[in-house]
Amino acid sequence: MSVVEIVRFAVRGLVANRLRSLLTMLGIIIGIAAVILLTALGNGASQYIQGQIAGLGANSITVLPRQPPETAGTSGRPLTTGDVQALADPQGAPDVASVSPVVQLSTSVDAGRSRTDAIVVGSTPSYFPGANVQVGTGRAYTDVDVEAGRKVVLLGRTVADDLFGVGSDPVGRDVLVRGVPFDVIGTLAPAGQGQGLANPDENVLAPITAVQGSLTGFGDLSQIVVQARSTEAQAAAESEINSILDRRHGIEDSENRDYQVLSARQLADVLDDTLGAFTLLLAAIAAISLVVGGIGITNIMLVSVTERTREIGIRKALGAPPSAILGQFLVESIILSVVGGVLGVAVGYAGTLVPLGDFRPVVLPSAVVAAVGVSAAIGIFFGAYPARRAARLRPIEALRRE
Amino acid sequence: MTGTGVTNVLDVRKLSKVYGAGDTAVHALCDVDLTVRRGEYVAVIGHSGSGKSTLLNMLGCLDAPTSGRYLLEGLDVADLDERQQAVLRNRQIGFVFQAFNLIPRTTALANVELPLVYAGVGRRRRRERAMAALALVGLQGREDHRPNELSGGQQQRVAVARALVTSPALLLADEPTGNLDSQSTADALGLFDRLHASGRTIVLITHDDEVAERAERVVVVSDGRLSEAPARR
Ligand SMILES: Nc1ncnc2c1ncn2[C@@H]1O[C@H](COP(=O)(O)OP(=O)(O)OP(=O)(O)O)[C@@H](O)[C@H]1O
Ligand SMILES: [Mg+2]
Repeated sequence: MSVVEIVRFAVRGLVANRLRSLLTMLGIIIGIAAVILLTALGNGASQYIQGQIAGLGANSITVLPRQPPETAGTSGRPLTTGDVQALADPQGAPDVASVSPVVQLSTSVDAGRSRTDAIVVGSTPSYFPGANVQVGTGRAYTDVDVEAGRKVVLLGRTVADDLFGVGSDPVGRDVLVRGVPFDVIGTLAPAGQGQGLANPDENVLAPITAVQGSLTGFGDLSQIVVQARSTEAQAAAESEINSILDRRHGIEDSENRDYQVLSARQLADVLDDTLGAFTLLLAAIAAISLVVGGIGITNIMLVSVTERTREIGIRKALGAPPSAILGQFLVESIILSVVGGVLGVAVGYAGTLVPLGDFRPVVLPSAVVAAVGVSAAIGIFFGAYPARRAARLRPIEALRRE
Repeated sequence: MTGTGVTNVLDVRKLSKVYGAGDTAVHALCDVDLTVRRGEYVAVIGHSGSGKSTLLNMLGCLDAPTSGRYLLEGLDVADLDERQQAVLRNRQIGFVFQAFNLIPRTTALANVELPLVYAGVGRRRRRERAMAALALVGLQGREDHRPNELSGGQQQRVAVARALVTSPALLLADEPTGNLDSQSTADALGLFDRLHASGRTIVLITHDDEVAERAERVVVVSDGRLSEAPARR
């Protein structure tokens, strides 16, 4: 009794019950396709969001003033140039690459007949790498511009489009910021959507001295932008910032801080946690459908063996050894789960090729392996169990079953 | 396994079979003794429900007795494991069931080939022998019919062909002519005569006196007990 004969019997058994075999396989196909598709969705969403966060500037840290809670008993101190100098000290903050003081105001900007609203950001040249802002046309302002308090600006893409027409190059023109004339020395590269905290397209960048001198006065800072030495150094840089500012602001309990530190990393952590939970949820749903598929095989194998107990009896009476009976049913369930598994992977993979909005599902190889493995294991185990029982029956007992 | 030195192919001693237990227990066979010599042609007769099929099932190693010993070719069947019993059923015994027991949705040819598959005979050889066996029972041209496409008598003849295809030394048949008309019965009996003449041992159950007359020896089962019918010839 060769393996070939056993396989032939198994195939004949499956073909003789074509519809039932197909329906069983359908259960496995749906289960496996669901696992692959749902985990791919979670994975794709996670990769998409991580990509978006990387666009925020992975090394960038923003320090903002904050109203401390009432229990702190103080209204808190503002952020000052003193804070900037302390953070720029390489002794106290070795993981900080640059520190940029920022003053901001939201105001109208005029160019001849057109006018628009924009956020004017006054800072130092280190702001450009620090906030991950690129120059599109013209040049960035320099330390010389800052020291001299020159009234020069770079316009964000949207601002330039609104004032001078879409795609125009306004370098060399003049604008009035709250009535004060500034020279346009450049534009910012379009950042597009998804830049998170601030959208540079709607910003107007100018030297901090010029903004303070003619617009806001020399008061407190709106924020401090810090650049960490590297992505890896970001967490260290954040804790250095915390300890320096806590000391300077006299804060003992971190709950009572009068400032907050924001970074892309924190955002990524929060989103990662959320996405992790989301993926887990999808995986749980998928696992349920897989179990349902597995129960499908089990059910069919039980029915198949029970229904064919008589046939098993005949085969035994004609001299089939127990191993041949066991083998036949085992091979039947293996064929069902393997063919169903392969088709399920194909269907699931095909499903992931459909783009959903901005992101694409990304297949997790581990999910494929787990799905196919689990369904095959369920199929084989529960296929083997009734077959083993049948193979052990005395021929006459098997023959008597109806 | 061949044990050709033993003259008694079948040797049954104090064999009993009880179905069920307690109040509902049925004593289908009580202390049956029976020996069948090599090449003997034995008919078993008896009323319906007397225990004939029960006896034959045990002779065919399809069922185990409640008590007693059964030696086949001098070997105690109770000492054999499952696999060895399977080999025994496959090589030594051809069994024709009262209820035919063909595999449904499977052609006559595939049904007849089945014992040869388990015997490990190659495809071509298997086909030849199965075709020959079907021809022997007058079913040439029906190879590709499934059991539900055959008449009762035809199914019975497929069952006989399947029992003969391995050329077993021992043929056990439970009412093999029960569903046949007089012509087919005569054909089947002619076949058994030829098998007997070629040295096969045959034990068959029948209700038909005409069939019993063809045998060398007739045993009667009544209420689970066995007795020898008076010898004729
Ligand atoms: N599986 C079983 N469980 C309980 N009782 C059984 C079983 N099989 C047979 N019997 C009983 O054993 C007795 C003998 O049955 P058996 O089938 O051997 O009769 P038989 O002589 O072959 O009859 P027939 O000529 O009608 O085929 C009967 O009384 C029957 O009811
Ligand atoms: Mg009977």
